[in-house]
Amino acid sequence: MIRTENLTKRFGDNVAVDGLTLQVAQGEVFGFLGPNGAGKTTTMRMLSALVAPTSGSAWVNGLQVGADDAAIRASIGLLTEAPGLYPRLDAEQNLGFFAKLHGVQDVAGQVRTYLTLLGLWERRSEPVGGFSKGMQQKLAIARALLHEPPVLFLDEPTSALDPEAARVVRDFIETLREQGRTIFICTHNLDEADRLCDHVAVIKQRLIRVDTPEALRRGLYGQSVLVRLQQVSAQLHALVADLPFVHAVSDTPGGLRVSLDDPDENNPALVHALVGAGAAVQFVEREAHSLEQVYFDLMRESEVAA
Amino acid sequence: MNAGRIRAIVRKEWMDMGKNKGVLWMMALLPVILVAMILGTAYFMERTPASEFDPSTGDEGLSLPVEMVHLDAKTGTIVLMNEQYMFYLLLVPMALPVYIAAYSIIGDKETRSLEPLLATPISTEELLVGKVIAAVTPAVLLAWLSFALTAAGMYIISSPVVFGYLVRPVWTLSMAIHAPLFALLSTSSGVIASSRLNDPRAAQQVTALFVIPVIGLSMAVLLGRIYLDLGLILWAGAAMVLVNVGVLWLAVRLFQRETILTRWK
Repeated sequence: MIRTENLTKRFGDNVAVDGLTLQVAQGEVFGFLGPNGAGKTTTMRMLSALVAPTSGSAWVNGLQVGADDAAIRASIGLLTEAPGLYPRLDAEQNLGFFAKLHGVQDVAGQVRTYLTLLGLWERRSEPVGGFSKGMQQKLAIARALLHEPPVLFLDEPTSALDPEAARVVRDFIETLREQGRTIFICTHNLDEADRLCDHVAVIKQRLIRVDTPEALRRGLYGQSVLVRLQQVSAQLHALVADLPFVHAVSDTPGGLRVSLDDPDENNPALVHALVGAGAAVQFVEREAHSLEQVYFDLMRESEVAA
Repeated sequence: MNAGRIRAIVRKEWMDMGKNKGVLWMMALLPVILVAMILGTAYFMERTPASEFDPSTGDEGLSLPVEMVHLDAKTGTIVLMNEQYMFYLLLVPMALPVYIAAYSIIGDKETRSLEPLLATPISTEELLVGKVIAAVTPAVLLAWLSFALTAAGMYIISSPVVFGYLVRPVWTLSMAIHAPLFALLSTSSGVIASSRLNDPRAAQQVTALFVIPVIGLSMAVLLGRIYLDLGLILWAGAAMVLVNVGVLWLAVRLFQRETILTRWK
């Protein structure tokens, strides 16, 4: 659905995006993570046919960036970082204008559908300058969807929103995913990316890593479980270390951290061995690494490599 | 070019303009002041005794061009004064659209609405044509309305000779041809300035430079150096068409989506 090959953008001497190669499958939610100035928005603008690549190639919906720009813009929905609405016009006028630019057949019907879907129908006749940030963001999302694009680019969809409004937007993104749309999200909100995205790419001008959030965790930290014991001993430590599926064991306060092949498969055997050796097992849990931790470690790695 | 998208731009600009009190006041104020000034001047001059205009009283007055020497001093002075004011009326289609156009592009920057707009299938030409039509049309209509009101007022308060000079083909043609051309020139230069500048006032100041040739022409007429005839009006119209084509071409070339998106902060 979206493919880039060595996509590069320079502004004078400044390299904003450097040789980016990635692929986004149809119907997936793809997270694009990176610090400010990493080239996320520039990449999104190149893929939206707003900014021309300096070199490399990109395809969106089978259309090539640079060759089919108007067709690309007709087939995507873009949520920019700022809602970019016309504050003096009301919600209906704002959406009606964009529906006409996209050549939507039933302008009034489509505007009504999305205003209703996002809970803004009752406020349709009010100037949007008086809307809260959450309402403006919802209206901007509606604007991006009016022409029913198969691909959506969302730049910081929940930034500056209160938790309630952010949740509404996240739930709506889930609904869009269920409709089979391909969604490309630039975000600083790593928890949100973890919850929403099938794949995430971490970039800093260059692509640092791309994978599912779970695979990124596994790649960095392997798989480990925390075993909480009533009493830890050197014997128990040695016993666990000798198990064939265990890679490493370390002591933690009140237990052991065990790195192993596959927790789902190996945990019963691990618990069985410990109980057999007389250990009092209080609980076993998979060790959780947040995407935030993954992100910072990847950034550190990239800085060391640079 | 897609007419539907151009219509959408024009309609949206007018809706936005209709809700912008500052722009509405600005658009109404200039024509109202000018028409009131022209009619007020004519009204008081008509009520001034003819002897006040007699050069033999010591005041040499204004020197009338040869084409007007058959007029008496009072009528000639009023006609000459009206000729000056007509130039000012021609500034209406020049002054109003620059105000509208400057806010139209820089307003998009201020509300950050340009990026979503450029992310639609609209072409640069469609966008600019829409914005130009939206700015030029009300300015030209207001200029024509001002001229019509001035003519009607002059018919009531002045002599038939003065009225005849005001509505002679030189001015009616100039209003018909030059007013839209001036408005177009002003709008295109407003688009250029606001594509490059960040402040609507700076954009207005740059485009205000176009007023200078018109003022210069009015001075030449006042000093009796030039008498406006149909030939001059048509030549000026042809020259304006050429200038407009050049400025419009430049406006489209300078309006670079990428530069505007990446440099506007």
